[in-house]
Amino acid sequence: MSKKSPVVAVVDDDPRLLESLEDLLESAGHVVRSFPSAEALLVNGLSDLDVLITDIGMPGLSGLELRDLVEKDRPDLPVILITGRHEIADRLRAGGVSRLFCKPFDGPALLEAIGSALPDVETGER
Amino acid sequence: MRVWSDRPELLHLAIFFAAYVLGCGFAQALAIIPETGISIWLPSGLFIATLALASRRSWPQWVVAGLLAELVGNVLWFHNPLPVALLIFAGNALEAVVGAWLVTRFGRPVRLDSLPEVLALMVLGAGIAPIVGATVASATLAWFDMQSFSAAWPLFWLGNASGVLIAAPLALALFQDWRSGTALSEPRWLEAAAIGLILLGAAVLSLSAYLPFAYLIMPPLLWAAVRFEFRGAAVSLALIAIIAAVFTISGDSQFAGEPGSQTLKQIMLHLFLAVSAISAVIVAAISRQHQAALFALSERERELSQLVDLLPAYIRRLTPEGRPFFFNKRLTDYIGASLEEINAIDGDRLEPAVKDYVHPDEAGDVEAAIRSAVATGQAYSLKYRMRGIDGVYRWIETRAEPLRNQDGTIAQWYSVSIDIDEQVRLYRELEEREGKIRRLIDSDIIGIVFWDLDGRILEANDAFLRMVQYEREDLRAGLRWFDMSPPEWQEKHARYEAEELMATGKMQAREKEFFRKDGSRVPVLIGAACFEGQSTQGVAYILDLTARRQAEAALSERERFLWQVVETLPVMVDCAAPDGEPIYRNQQLREFLGYDLEALDGTGKSRLAGTLDAGVHPDDLEGVKTNYAHSLATGEPYARRHRLRRFDGEYRWVETRAAPMYDPKGETVQWNVICLDIDGEVQTQEKLRLAQERLSRASQAASLAELSASIAHEVNQPLAAIVANSHACHRWLMDSPPNLARAKVTAERIIRDANSAADVVSRIRALFKRSTATRSPTELGSVVAEGLGLMADEVVRLRVRIDTDIESDLPLVSIDRVQILQVLVNLMRNGIEAMDVTKGAGVLGLRVRLMGDTIQTEISDRGPGIAFPEKIFEPFFTTKEHGMGMGLAVCRSIVEAHDGRLWAERNEPHGATFIFTLPAEAKAAK
Repeated sequence: MSKKSPVVAVVDDDPRLLESLEDLLESAGHVVRSFPSAEALLVNGLSDLDVLITDIGMPGLSGLELRDLVEKDRPDLPVILITGRHEIADRLRAGGVSRLFCKPFDGPALLEAIGSALPDVETGER
Repeated sequence: MRVWSDRPELLHLAIFFAAYVLGCGFAQALAIIPETGISIWLPSGLFIATLALASRRSWPQWVVAGLLAELVGNVLWFHNPLPVALLIFAGNALEAVVGAWLVTRFGRPVRLDSLPEVLALMVLGAGIAPIVGATVASATLAWFDMQSFSAAWPLFWLGNASGVLIAAPLALALFQDWRSGTALSEPRWLEAAAIGLILLGAAVLSLSAYLPFAYLIMPPLLWAAVRFEFRGAAVSLALIAIIAAVFTISGDSQFAGEPGSQTLKQIMLHLFLAVSAISAVIVAAISRQHQAALFALSERERELSQLVDLLPAYIRRLTPEGRPFFFNKRLTDYIGASLEEINAIDGDRLEPAVKDYVHPDEAGDVEAAIRSAVATGQAYSLKYRMRGIDGVYRWIETRAEPLRNQDGTIAQWYSVSIDIDEQVRLYRELEEREGKIRRLIDSDIIGIVFWDLDGRILEANDAFLRMVQYEREDLRAGLRWFDMSPPEWQEKHARYEAEELMATGKMQAREKEFFRKDGSRVPVLIGAACFEGQSTQGVAYILDLTARRQAEAALSERERFLWQVVETLPVMVDCAAPDGEPIYRNQQLREFLGYDLEALDGTGKSRLAGTLDAGVHPDDLEGVKTNYAHSLATGEPYARRHRLRRFDGEYRWVETRAAPMYDPKGETVQWNVICLDIDGEVQTQEKLRLAQERLSRASQAASLAELSASIAHEVNQPLAAIVANSHACHRWLMDSPPNLARAKVTAERIIRDANSAADVVSRIRALFKRSTATRSPTELGSVVAEGLGLMADEVVRLRVRIDTDIESDLPLVSIDRVQILQVLVNLMRNGIEAMDVTKGAGVLGLRVRLMGDTIQTEISDRGPGIAFPEKIFEPFFTTKEHGMGMGLAVCRSIVEAHDGRLWAERNEPHGATFIFTLPAEAKAAK
């Protein structure tokens, strides 16, 4: 198959949400790597990832801190933030952050956002 | 003296008769001239003695007895013719009567006690009476020619006289002395026997021999008369007479002989017998008289001695050397020792005797006094204590004086002691009592004055003089208490005191004043009493009250000071009796209350209850009364804050503290209460509390937002999972062919997560179910006010007007203040936010009112109104863009938890009204 499936990493401390996201993304044909915490992701490494979806409020490193770390290592890696707290979302939106979803988020919208974050990969230019 | 009764005893008559007959026989035996009976006529003596002793009324009987006896004698011996015999007897009887009459007339009583009586008997009885008998008998003999008168008469007289001399004393002695019957002692009997023998011998010798020898008989006769008086004389004479008669009859006597010489001898015998009788009787009389004198002397001496013993004094007689030789009976009785016992001990008895009987304190003085008196011959007098037989010393006063001989030397000492113990004791007592009184007067504690009603001071002690600052010279110069009395007291005295003294003899103690010498006044306490039996003089007792007055003044000054302190202390002070009844309130408290202590009296309530009911805020009254009652019952201090009604009707917060005050026995004397107006502090505190509350409310509001966020997060997590899974499931089913296996797994996850979401909601509900323990009776109005305060900022910001209509006097509600506040704020915010969309019409209505037994709160807005009045209370229902839909649901659950209801109604023409009710708890408070 010429078309390589994009790899999406999901980080959330809630196993139920992790599970449901994995299911949703797999139904859309993505390869999903789930991590219960930012630290687990970092241990695994970022090299083979195409998109990162991370919850913001987590024990240990928060989603925002993870995003900042990823920014340094892989500036090209798109990061999509999700949160259950609307006030945080409001604040971030006000700060210009666009790839951000509030729980409960709209599934198709999320898939679309992932899709739009992967133009190059999808074309398979490498 | 009547010896025999008027009627003589027959026995006596018989004896008399017998003796008479014997006398006749004796006369016959010694008859000088035979056949004439002229002889020693003993019956004459018997007759006289008998009649002298017999009562005169009985004389005829004796005479008859004598007549019979003489007739018997005549028949036996004399043989005279009856007329002669009768006439002779008549002479004899006449003689006896005359003799007895003379003897008893002049010589009464017929006792042979003294010489004059004996002489009287001899002269009258033996001398004169026989003249009668001799004359009658001689005349009779002459008449009958038996003898010549002149020859017979002397013989008759001599015979009768001799008979009287011999027989009368014998008869009298017999009748009297033997009747009295004093027995002779043995030596006297011997003596009598000896005299009898000598007399017998002398008589035999003298009568049988030569006539002058007859007088040898005289010494023993006189001896008998001296020693045995009349008894001796009478018995001796009788003896001599008998012997003489015997010799005469036998013829041996010198008086017997030739008839020629016989008459002479007969006469000589008669003379001899008469002389003997006279001598013996006279000597006996003298002896009797002497004996009587001796007896009288000894009687007198006995009486004197009795007198000495009777004297209430102790009497001693001492030798010139001071040795006692006589103690009277009282003395020996008192000391319990006789003179002999004291003198029985050898040596100088003075010192030991004094030591034994005189009190040791005075023994030395007594001994010295006696020795000095013996040495100088001076009388002395001493007082000392002498010990009696009972061991008790008694005071005696002894005076001793010497009795001197003619030549001035001391014959003996007389010492007389008188018991003065009682006097000494009385004197001591008197002295003691007087000493006590003197002590009272001399002690400078109390002023004592002797006064009279004329206003003079008769005597005063130093204490009084010092009190009024006068000198003793002033007193002597004549000090007048009346002048020392200030005029107003003079008046009082005249009006009351004098009268009291007159009426009762006393003046009760009272306070008055005297002028001192310098004119200043001295306050005194004075009481007075009249002397006994005197109404114008008496004694007064005066106490200087200056010091006490000063002390009282100092005390009252102190009291005034303390009073002022209490009155002016910037606290309210109240004192209450042990039962809580107020008895004092200071000025601050009176001014605060606006009425005095007694103002509420007479309302039927106790003063305490009245004050509490009138003053304490109704909300606090119950608690205050309970606390008061507890403290009063237990004695525990009381402390409490409450509101107290001020005179102007304003209730102000006060802090009241009370503590009991105890007496030394631990009994509660009173309660001291202070009360501080702390209204300012309470208001400040209330403000502070409100500020804090507001702050906490703000933080509560913040936490409400926080809570909402948390709830949202909690719900969002499962929701997010559900949403994601739903899409996944959808996608699995939309695949061709549908991936049913994955879809099934995903659908199961959706169910799981949905349940999880439901759990979250349950948890939240549980979260709001707060315990009712935090509820307290609260004024809803205050909560409303608080809510309004919290909303104030928003109201201003959103330019909303709030119209409030809150009923006053609402009953309390038992609520969790914070929860109800939350409901209120929620509803108000809802209303305001509803109106947000219709700008310009921001009017929020707030109304609280009592509906039956519930308090109803209505919050109305002029917003767009609500489409589904019930649906809006469902959780997560919202008409707002941002609302989560929890607010109204939570509100309803809170209200329902308070047993109230919350619902919404449409407003006409537009807007909505949210209404909630809460059950009223208590009755309306004022």
